[in-house]
Amino acid sequence: MTEAVRTQGLFKRFGQQVAVAGIDLVVPRGSFAGLVGPNGAGKTTTLSMITGLLRPDGGLIEIDGHNVWADPVNVKARIGVLPEGLRLFERLSGRELLLYSGQLRGIPVDEVGRRADELLRIMDLVESQDKLVVDYSTGMRKKIGLAAALLHNPGVLFLDEPFEGVDPVSANTLTEVLRRFTASGSTVVFSSHVMDLVERLCDWVSVMDRGRIVAQGPLDDVRGERTLNEAFLDLVGARGSGEGGLSWLGSATAATGDTT
Amino acid sequence: MTPDLTPATPVTPARDAAAMGTRATAALFVRLKLRLIRGNLRGDVAKQLGFVFSCLAAGVVAVLGFVLFALLRLAPADVAQDVGIVMFTLVAISWIFVPLMAFGLDETLDPARLTLFPLTTRQFAVGMFAASATGPWPVASLVMLGGGVVAMASGPGGVLIGLPAVLLQFAFCLVVSRAVTTALSGALRSRRGRDVLAVGVVFILVLTQIPSLILNRGLPGDPLELLAVTAGVLRWSPPGLAAHAIADGGLAGVAEIVVLALVVVALAWLWIVALRRALVMPDSSNRGGGAVRRSRVAAFLPGGMLGAVVAKELKYARREPRGRINWFTAVVVSGILMFSMRGQGDYDGPALVIGPVCLAAIMMGFQAANAFGIDGRSLWMNAVAFATERDVRTDLAGRHLAHAIIAVPLLTALSVLAAVTTDDPGLVVATTATAWGLLGVTLGVGAVVSVLIPYTYPERLNAFTGAAPGQGGQAFAATFAAMTGTCVVGLPIIVPPLFGFTAWAAVAVPYGLAVAWGGRRLAASIGYRRIPDILAAVSRPA
Repeated sequence: MTEAVRTQGLFKRFGQQVAVAGIDLVVPRGSFAGLVGPNGAGKTTTLSMITGLLRPDGGLIEIDGHNVWADPVNVKARIGVLPEGLRLFERLSGRELLLYSGQLRGIPVDEVGRRADELLRIMDLVESQDKLVVDYSTGMRKKIGLAAALLHNPGVLFLDEPFEGVDPVSANTLTEVLRRFTASGSTVVFSSHVMDLVERLCDWVSVMDRGRIVAQGPLDDVRGERTLNEAFLDLVGARGSGEGGLSWLGSATAATGDTT
Repeated sequence: MTPDLTPATPVTPARDAAAMGTRATAALFVRLKLRLIRGNLRGDVAKQLGFVFSCLAAGVVAVLGFVLFALLRLAPADVAQDVGIVMFTLVAISWIFVPLMAFGLDETLDPARLTLFPLTTRQFAVGMFAASATGPWPVASLVMLGGGVVAMASGPGGVLIGLPAVLLQFAFCLVVSRAVTTALSGALRSRRGRDVLAVGVVFILVLTQIPSLILNRGLPGDPLELLAVTAGVLRWSPPGLAAHAIADGGLAGVAEIVVLALVVVALAWLWIVALRRALVMPDSSNRGGGAVRRSRVAAFLPGGMLGAVVAKELKYARREPRGRINWFTAVVVSGILMFSMRGQGDYDGPALVIGPVCLAAIMMGFQAANAFGIDGRSLWMNAVAFATERDVRTDLAGRHLAHAIIAVPLLTALSVLAAVTTDDPGLVVATTATAWGLLGVTLGVGAVVSVLIPYTYPERLNAFTGAAPGQGGQAFAATFAAMTGTCVVGLPIIVPPLFGFTAWAAVAVPYGLAVAWGGRRLAASIGYRRIPDILAAVSRPA
């Protein structure tokens, strides 16, 4: 058994709208996997269900061979999560957040303190470790969120849009940490819109569109001879072209003035 | 919730906007304000009902205010004048404070949204002024102020001066309120400013209770004399000038409204200066944010999950404005109850001591009836760690322990205070024990309610709702369930002491502990299976 994550017929609907239409997601162990897709493709819903935060309407989810919804004890200790939207305990300081997260998972407080100090140093957050998270910038929040997700040394890490709104310096720190993490044999699954980044980091890609997986496999198989961006646009079908309409837009027509 | 601005903002090139006259600007902003009100109400029945209710209330205030004010005419002229002066001042004061408390209910209050439109400062000021005059409440206060003319005018001169005086007073209210919100808008936009303001709101609410407390205890002296002295001082404030001008009706009155007009113009100028500054000032108060001291309390707490939860809850009670407000309100309201119940009747008995302290215990315990609400969107962090039912139980136990660490000393102090001030110190023990027991009951019931009917607290505090949009029903159901549950389960320990059987209080603490324990067990077994649902319910956008 070499799969870190495997779903079978995973399904979720919100009212009339089917968000995830029975997908079979596979992520081999030790891979750096990207889950890509346009807005509304169902990436966040999928990650929420896999991490036990959202109840699926149907299907099976296994992490390292353990069923997420039937055997949470074995699953929850193995996974680290950074959900979308930077939802953190705003009124704790960065350090307190790490201590809380570690103790919640039953790690002895001395050990949590040691790991927190190291993570804060690597994430370059030592100076702001005693500031409240509510006063953190986006990049700092992503970094402290990742630190909290790594603290208990999970086997599989799930990150929802970890690089969204992050400055290049913080992004570099995040990628360095994640590279080291996967090099040791652990698995990272992250969702993103940024194809360049996925192409640079990932060795495994799953492409989602409208609640389905339209392509999945090693990066080179999915993109073939093209760039990942081209392959992606082919797969999801580029909607709406730049031609037609907006004839008034641009400098050429400015002289003619008001076109209403 | 961003209202659709497009229909209200005409697609006019900049050169036309600059040429727009005063009246056109005013009309445009009035239309914008009306659109915003309508857009805000679209497709939300609860909000529509709230707006209808607000309009009705404004109508009642307008009519009743006008009639009551006008009836003052029947009183002696000098009393009418004094009351008029005080009333005009009160209206102006409420114009300063109410918009601050309800900041965020009115989009036109935030000038930052309008900076990118090509408007001159004059147009901007006129427009904002017109927008603030639009709405049920401004109209209501204008009508009410109109009653002052009926009450105080002594002849045709009074009426002639009265109409401009009322309009100027109205303008004064608008400009003062705008100037204050604009001057504070920098602070209001920063996190710290909002935190301070949120707690300040409670202080203001408490201040409004002071007159009724004083009245309860009897006035220190002749009320008419007190009125005359107050009016004598307020007479020289701008609203006082307006009121006095109406009553005077002569040349002095004309002079007074001229002064008032100058004050309004000066304030308007100040407001525009503040506005210009506010629009280009960077939001510096958000940067940095001070560091917090590392807590030493943690050393005394048990390690592991329980200690972590207790430490987190204690920090939240201190740092989260909502936490501070809840505790502050619980203490103040019980204090007020204690004193106001004391004032009436000759009845003297254990109920007078035990009753208010029990109410305090219930008020403090009620915060635990939506235990996960305070975590809100960050609750996922617990959810990804909770693997067993036992984890949920530990989490609840931590929350209860933190709650008790704050509430038990407070309740003890209140009990001592209540017993000592009624000269019945013998009741201290019984009162304290009953209050502790009842706290346990509210916590136990609250734990079950928390997992059954969780809801999101709104991000922005206001006086009108305690829940995120669309969850008013859940909030009401949760409060109702917590109240009913506490009353039913708590009855066996409240009733006997209230009727003098104080020895029964010995049972209260074990009973309360048992209920809290049972509540946690039940809540954990329900809550463990409902974690995703609870998470969704407390993470609503608010």
